[in-house]
Amino acid sequence: MIAAGKRMEPGEDRTPASGLGGMLEVHRAELLRFLCGRCGSMDEAQDVMQDLWIKVSGASTGPIGNPRAYLFRMANNIVLDRLRASRRAMRRERVWIEADGDGVALAPELRIDPAEPADEALSRRQEAEILQQAIARLPEGAAKALRMYRFEGMAQGEIAQILGISRSGVEKHLAVAMKHLRAVLANCGSFAAVPSHDHGADGGATPRMEQGR
Amino acid sequence: MNRDNEAELPEAMLAEAASWHVRSEDERPDAMDWDAFTDWLEADPRHRHAFDQMALTADAIDRHKTELGVADADEDDDVSPQRGRGALWRWGGLAIAASLAAIVAAPQFLVPAPAVYATQAGSSRIALADGSSVLLAPHSRLTVAGRAQDHMDITGGAIFDIRHDPSRTLTISAGGVSISDIGTRFDVQQQDEAVRVSIAEGRVRVSGQALAQPIALAAGSGLTFDANAGTAIVAPVKAADVGAWQDGRLSYDNAPLALVATDLRRYAGVRVNVPAPLRSRRFSGTLIVDDGEKALRDLVQLMDLRLGGHAGAWRLEQR
Repeated sequence: MIAAGKRMEPGEDRTPASGLGGMLEVHRAELLRFLCGRCGSMDEAQDVMQDLWIKVSGASTGPIGNPRAYLFRMANNIVLDRLRASRRAMRRERVWIEADGDGVALAPELRIDPAEPADEALSRRQEAEILQQAIARLPEGAAKALRMYRFEGMAQGEIAQILGISRSGVEKHLAVAMKHLRAVLANCGSFAAVPSHDHGADGGATPRMEQGR
Repeated sequence: MNRDNEAELPEAMLAEAASWHVRSEDERPDAMDWDAFTDWLEADPRHRHAFDQMALTADAIDRHKTELGVADADEDDDVSPQRGRGALWRWGGLAIAASLAAIVAAPQFLVPAPAVYATQAGSSRIALADGSSVLLAPHSRLTVAGRAQDHMDITGGAIFDIRHDPSRTLTISAGGVSISDIGTRFDVQQQDEAVRVSIAEGRVRVSGQALAQPIALAAGSGLTFDANAGTAIVAPVKAADVGAWQDGRLSYDNAPLALVATDLRRYAGVRVNVPAPLRSRRFSGTLIVDDGEKALRDLVQLMDLRLGGHAGAWRLEQR
């Protein structure tokens, strides 16, 4: 007992975690705090943590330069995926209700292409037109940076080199573009039809304070 | 539900959200201060809505990437539709110049070094960070690069099983074409200037310099592209035949013999020379490749040809 104890470290008896999985344990508390702020509810934050854990343990990745940032980014992506999924579900539900009104109720799953009924294809085109006009109205630098970044897939560093400006200059251009385009989409109701991705009660932003008094 | 809330997000808050969003997408791992971002999120519950809207805006732009990108090129260069790519080309040239400069001046600006996977006689499965996977065929090579593993280059063959993610723009280059707008499962076979893309599930978009316009391929269809011959043929494929090489089967419908020979070399490890007059002869049928020589003999018999030469240097001959 004593002889064997000499090299025992706390936690040594645990299964050795793979690189990224180990880092997830190290940063669990910070990630959870981030997710709680990001999702607005502790419940959802914990769901996302679970997803993250599954992803991390299933992935065999190469060496990662900054595993902490990588985990935060992965976590943020999972939140965005959930947001997208809930918007898709809302849209389908709405289409379904509308179809029901005509007496031709058809569950979304039974459609030939549940992803895009004809009316959605139309609004897709409208969306494209709206964006195109908005991009044409952007300040020149912002439009250029946006095109290079979003359409031509260049890295922000590359764009800085090409435009001969600093990286923070590129960042500002891109932020200006995003802010403008968001405003245009918001004006035509792009975000209105879908509620936030809160689960359950509103005011989930302060999850720890419920009924505390 | 949150309509009022969202309509009234203050300008300053939206500007902050836009900056955070841009930084969260930056290719450098240390560009984003996640702790400061957490503080910002905690400071006001509306902050996360503002951020969500930025992300959804980015999704909307990406959704229309093709139309918006093309419309843009037309505006810049109104000579003729064919010359519409001029604008893109200009940028492309600059991008190359810039990345060369970056190597000398500021290597830290470059995205992480690409990962290169290469196979010898066997195939190999590659798992990507987002849960997607690639089964790389024998004698093939896959390069994975980009800030989100979103630039791949395939030489040889591979079955791609890609998780659809509208937030990123994954592009796979093969020979003279690039495959984008990707959802789910498809097979790519590239040899020199010839590329075949077959879709088992989902859809992809294939574009290239030699293609007048991008080609959308849905499940059950395939593209055979040959830059040298200047041909791009879209034809139905059986989902069960897509990537059947992994089960030791090669199925063809009206495929040129030159292409069949290429596959035999990759998948059966048998080299066979196809003389010019026979190269464009068509073969339809299935070859079992667990024994290379046998597949070759089957082909010869099915095509009513003769096998000349000797082991290691077989040659197809007219009977």
